[in-house]
Amino acid sequence: MKEIVAIIRPSKMTRTKEVLAALGFPALTACKVLGRGKQKGLAGEVSFPLGPELVQEEGGMRYVPKRLVSLVVEDEDVPLVVGAITKVNRTGAIGDGRIFVCPVEDAARIRTQERGMAAIL
Amino acid sequence: MKMIRAIVRPEKAEDVVDALAAAGYVALTKMDVVGRGKQKGIQVGSIYYDELPKVMLMLVTEDENVAEIVEIINHAAYTGNFGDGKIFVSPVEEAYTIRTGSRGL
Repeated sequence: MKEIVAIIRPSKMTRTKEVLAALGFPALTACKVLGRGKQKGLAGEVSFPLGPELVQEEGGMRYVPKRLVSLVVEDEDVPLVVGAITKVNRTGAIGDGRIFVCPVEDAARIRTQERGMAAIL
Repeated sequence: MKMIRAIVRPEKAEDVVDALAAAGYVALTKMDVVGRGKQKGIQVGSIYYDELPKVMLMLVTEDENVAEIVEIINHAAYTGNFGDGKIFVSPVEEAYTIRTGSRGL
């Protein structure tokens, strides 16, 4: 089992969910987060205009709003899910986000007490 | 690669972020969380708070930088009181940049 943690643009969330559901991964957890990358947050990332004093002080904004998506999948599905998320979210501009793949040891479904992969499928 | 998740006091979060940025670790994700520790929340007068607001900072880094980052967060988030928070380090197997599709940080 692997957990795929993707940090993506909030505007791409609906499309990402649609594509993942179509591929057979409807279950996911999403969370509104703030983040920044190597560029320390960019002014052009948000649609509303920033005040000139803010741009001057910080060189942009401190954080950019992002959506964190997390889903647990079987080992062999990792390339498929990573490929799908990459394809949907790629715009070519800075701020498209990142995907992390982390190992998961065990899972449990609370309703049925199932353990392991049975809890996820 | 390792993922470092630090749960810190909200008022210390910006200090931690600035300290990390000064050391060259600029990229991170921040989220508001609520939680409690071993003390099961806090009692202030007659009011009992079961869950306390905290900020979780998440960053992924190469293995060799983990010790330095933990040290920076430890130093910047320290007050000496209960509720300073915790730092968790967990393994990450792969990282992808969506813009380029390339592997690695």
